[in-house]
Amino acid sequence: MAGAGNKIRNAKLVLLGDVGTGKSSLVLRFVKGQFVEFQESTIGAAFFSQTLAVNDETVKFEIWDTAGQERYHSLAPMYYRGAAAAVVVYDITNAASFTRAKKWVQELQAQGNPNTIMALAGNKADLLDARQVSAEEAQTYAQENGLFFMETSAKTAINVNDIFYEIAKRLLQGQPAAQNPQGMTLNQRPTERLVNASSCCS
Amino acid sequence: MATLRSKDRAVLEPFAEVDPAKSAGLPPSAPLTIRSLDVSSASDSKTLVYVGTGGGKIVLLSVDPSSPSSSSPSPTLATGNGRDSPASIASSAEGVEFLRLASVGSRVVESILVLSEIGRILVLSGGSLFIVDSVLSQPVRKIGVVKDVTAVAKRIPCSEGSGLDFMGDGASKGEILSSGKKLLMKLGVGIKANGSGPPSSEPPREGRTSCFVAAAVAKKLVLIELMLSGSVDNDSDNNGVSVLSKEIQGIDGAKAMAWLGDSIIVGTLEGYTLFSVVTGKCTPIFTLPESSGPPRLKPLWRSKDVLLLVDNVGIVVNSSGQPVGGSFVFRQPPDSVADMSSYVVVTGNAGIEIHRRKTGACVQSVSLAKHGSGSLIVANDDQGSGEVVVIATPYKVICFRKVSAEEQIKSLLRKKKFTEAICLVEELESDGEMTKDMLSFVHAQVGFLLLFDLRFEDAVNHFLLSETMQPSEIFPFIMRDPNRWSQLVPRNRYWGLHPPPAPLEEVIDNGLMAIQRAMFLKKAGVDTTVDEDFLLNPPSRADLLESAIRNIIRYLHVCRNKVLLPPIKEGVDTLLMYLYRSLDLVDDMEKLASSQNSCIVEELEALLDDSGHLRTLAFLYASKEMSSKALAIWCVLARNYAKGLWKNSTPSSEGDSLDISLGSTSGQKIAAAEASKILQESSDQDLILEHLGWIADIDQELAVAVLTSEKRINQLLPEKVLAAIDSEKAELRQRYLQWLIEDQDCEDSQYHTLYAVSLAKSVMEAVYMDSRNEDKNYRDIDEMDNSSVEARNSHNHLVREKLQLFLQASDLYDPEEVLDVIEESELWLEKAILYRKMGQENIVLQILALKLEDSEAAEQYCAEIGRDDAYIQLLDLYLDPQNGKEPMFTAAVRLLHNHGESLDPLQVLEKLSPDMPLQLASDTILRMLRARVHHHREGQIVHNLSRAINLDARLTRLEERSRHVQLNDESICDSCRARLGTKLFVMYPDDSVVCYRCYRNQGDSSSSSANGGRRSLKKGIIFKPGWLVSR
Ligand SMILES: Nc1nc2c(ncn2[C@@H]2O[C@H](COP(=O)(O)OP(=O)(O)O)[C@@H](O)[C@H]2O)c(=O)[nH]1
Ligand SMILES: [Mg+2]
Repeated sequence: MAGAGNKIRNAKLVLLGDVGTGKSSLVLRFVKGQFVEFQESTIGAAFFSQTLAVNDETVKFEIWDTAGQERYHSLAPMYYRGAAAAVVVYDITNAASFTRAKKWVQELQAQGNPNTIMALAGNKADLLDARQVSAEEAQTYAQENGLFFMETSAKTAINVNDIFYEIAKRLLQGQPAAQNPQGMTLNQRPTERLVNASSCCS
Repeated sequence: MATLRSKDRAVLEPFAEVDPAKSAGLPPSAPLTIRSLDVSSASDSKTLVYVGTGGGKIVLLSVDPSSPSSSSPSPTLATGNGRDSPASIASSAEGVEFLRLASVGSRVVESILVLSEIGRILVLSGGSLFIVDSVLSQPVRKIGVVKDVTAVAKRIPCSEGSGLDFMGDGASKGEILSSGKKLLMKLGVGIKANGSGPPSSEPPREGRTSCFVAAAVAKKLVLIELMLSGSVDNDSDNNGVSVLSKEIQGIDGAKAMAWLGDSIIVGTLEGYTLFSVVTGKCTPIFTLPESSGPPRLKPLWRSKDVLLLVDNVGIVVNSSGQPVGGSFVFRQPPDSVADMSSYVVVTGNAGIEIHRRKTGACVQSVSLAKHGSGSLIVANDDQGSGEVVVIATPYKVICFRKVSAEEQIKSLLRKKKFTEAICLVEELESDGEMTKDMLSFVHAQVGFLLLFDLRFEDAVNHFLLSETMQPSEIFPFIMRDPNRWSQLVPRNRYWGLHPPPAPLEEVIDNGLMAIQRAMFLKKAGVDTTVDEDFLLNPPSRADLLESAIRNIIRYLHVCRNKVLLPPIKEGVDTLLMYLYRSLDLVDDMEKLASSQNSCIVEELEALLDDSGHLRTLAFLYASKEMSSKALAIWCVLARNYAKGLWKNSTPSSEGDSLDISLGSTSGQKIAAAEASKILQESSDQDLILEHLGWIADIDQELAVAVLTSEKRINQLLPEKVLAAIDSEKAELRQRYLQWLIEDQDCEDSQYHTLYAVSLAKSVMEAVYMDSRNEDKNYRDIDEMDNSSVEARNSHNHLVREKLQLFLQASDLYDPEEVLDVIEESELWLEKAILYRKMGQENIVLQILALKLEDSEAAEQYCAEIGRDDAYIQLLDLYLDPQNGKEPMFTAAVRLLHNHGESLDPLQVLEKLSPDMPLQLASDTILRMLRARVHHHREGQIVHNLSRAINLDARLTRLEERSRHVQLNDESICDSCRARLGTKLFVMYPDDSVVCYRCYRNQGDSSSSSANGGRRSLKKGIIFKPGWLVSR
């Protein structure tokens, strides 16, 4: 386990999105493999951690599941500041939640760390009959904004592990082992690193 | 997952309550309201409580948490339907002592900070800071450097943070001082000393201690270092404390503050901001939503974090402003917060909530509604153990102490809240407040309590969860003390919450009595702790006993797989058998007995015998290598089965011993099979021969298996075995001999003879039976079903074949002895074989030619003999069979035809009898003569053909020799690739050319073909078409 190539990387991850889109449910599914029909509404933020093995490396996600209520919007920056990854969640059966998700993306682009890996999750993909947001629309939006997109279902577990796995993979791609021997927070991608490097040496 | 509801918990229990006004002896005409509070633990038994009042007074009380609680665990405190419960503490000032009263003026004492590092108290009142010694013995002094202070915070040293770790926990006082100075110097410009000149001009004096506080003043922060001066009179203005300070501009409207290492977290009406004393930078943490009330925060000394409140939500951030863990959700917006090791205590409108640090879950809530409205203040010594928590209502001080983990669990167990108790233990374990062993201890304790509550399944479930419980602790419940294992049982009484161990029957009887008593009490309206289910459906004794035994079996069964000391292992297995027996679980008993086990046979022998579990006992004996006892049982069992089962078995055809119907005698068969299994392993010859008989009676195959087993270490002595085999059991004898001879390669002629004779006898018997059957009327045979006739015939046939094969194959038996047996019979082939072994050619020929009339075999035999006179003998037999038999002319003619050439015509003519019809005779002679001529001519043809081939070959050789080959300078040897030049060379028929040297080296056996392959001339002769003479 403790091989040289098997360091544990801590990665701060934040879930953002409207109330009721299923953020807590996604985390519960990912961390405990469970789903509850009547998930209590989150207040403040809930914290979880979960490790994920990617090839011979291990990523330890420190997950903040935020509330999403407008009243506590001001708390969000505290959670996404310095996050290695952000998952913006909307509910495919609720067009308003998609609009809200776009706002979150905008805010992250404006206020957040440019190196944060952003994922867009169209949750409740099991409720196809009630769909209001098409996958194509979301995919197009995601592409235009440099996010990666997946439709998920916390209920059926579709794509839940996949989205976290994909994040972990991208984190590791952007952070070769040699450059991060201490296992600190992952929040940089190599392209940016190059830019940073040149500017800091000048 | 079961969760521990807050009503079940009592993390804190009140132990004292006091009215500070009364205890200070103030007249009721001058009431005081409590506005601030701090606590400092002076020693284990003495905690100082500082109470700040609305009128500028400070009351110092001393409380003794070790004093017996005035109303020991107040039951109403921790109950209520999950809702807040009123705390009812008998109004008692016992354990509380009023020490002193001091005054800082007439304005509200907004905050009191205990500065334990320098033994002083810092008081914020009316915008000014005051300092006083910790027992209020000296006059209160005002710190003049600041006024209009809105908030004050004490610095919590953090080891982490910026590279400038200037005040690590482990740092020496000198370091603290100098690094503190560094801090202030680093922070800025001129260090302004209060009173006697700039301290920078003064060398730091050894042994001085200091602490830092931050005060928020209008638009700035003032950082203050409070230093103990060496002598009191030096800075008598400030109680012997010198003051250094530094102002930082631009921080406005601070209402609340916390100072963690290098960071000061400031709460304003807008929100929370982090100010770094190292970089001087301000970073917003978050802004407060609209109408959320003033900022409230609480530094968490232990974890070096700070709890920021917004509405009823608490968010923990670390010294860099990063969130740590999930949020706390309180039932009400808290007024005040205290930090206990793994809990956070908050007070709100009318009550106290205790939440777990780790999960945020509320574990206890206490209502203090009866103390009237008004905000509650909570404080404890967060730098000390923090286990004394003081709550102040506007007029009263109530002291709580932490209930020890053990007491919390015990209290739940006494109330029979087992699940809750386990939940609590798990929680405490995950908080690091309890060891794994303790968890195991509690599981075992809970198990025993459940056992005495007759809830056996649950009890065993808990036993199984205990990693420290010993299986021997269960033994006294199964077998009355004293017994073989009594000494091994640990005298572990756990918390003594259950009675001492007793046999299950007793436990059940007592439990049933308790249930009856409880039913009686219930009718009388008295509450009991007995299980409701049991009261509604009183269980039967038998059901309980069975459940108890089944569950204990389950427990022991699991224990079997653990690593145990041998005597414990023996106890487990023996008692397991004991319990199986009590439920008559025959299959389990036999399974245990027949597998690897540690049962103590002596403990079980009599028991199993009495209850008739003979098979189990036999298995047990066998597993303990007590073969003779095991065999004795199997023997008795086989006999008993035979008696018992004949009655209800379907009769099979009489006398047909080979066709035993399986169903009717399966018990017997199994007994025999088990016995056979034991004997196959055994080398005990006497034992084997003793039991061979009855096993063979039941199943010959099993007996054969015993005799021919190769599993035993020492082989049996054949003569003993053969002597022991019942003479009736010919087949067994034969099978044994066959095994000896064929598998063991025994070459003792005695056994070969025995085998042959035995087989011969069997064949004779069969022949005799056959002939009798044929003599008998056919009715009998009709009655026999066809298949059995066939079976017997084929069996007879097999035996005969076996005999013939053996007679042929072995040279070691004595043919004469065998002959004696079959002399009288018609077993001609066997006889022929035997005579042949004896070299009696003439008799063999006679048998073959005359008895068996197998002229082919006879001729074959002649060929084997290989002498011409054999044919003449045969011819003689054919022509003069004697015993009044007609001459066999056809056979004779055939003989002459086939072998005429090897017969001397003269001899033949001599043999021809004068009685022979001329036609036949002439025919015979003619044939003979013709055959001879034919034979001669055939010879001539072969001779001529050979000559033709010879000629052909010679011609080809000549052609080969006359072949030409042209060589030039480039010509090389096909073998060594050397230039041939003028060397001697050789050409092979396949045109390859090699030098003479290669030819010599390789001999003329091979040529060297161009593609490197070599062919042996001798092996693969190349025939050219012309060489072959086609016929
Ligand atoms: N059908 C369906 N319901 C979901 C799914 N994810 C969440 N929910 C439900 O949506 C509601 C809100 O979920 P929650 O996780 O509390 O959302 P949050 O406010 O974003 O944390 C809950 O009742 C969930 O049971 C999903 O994938 N499919
Ligand atoms: Mg949620």
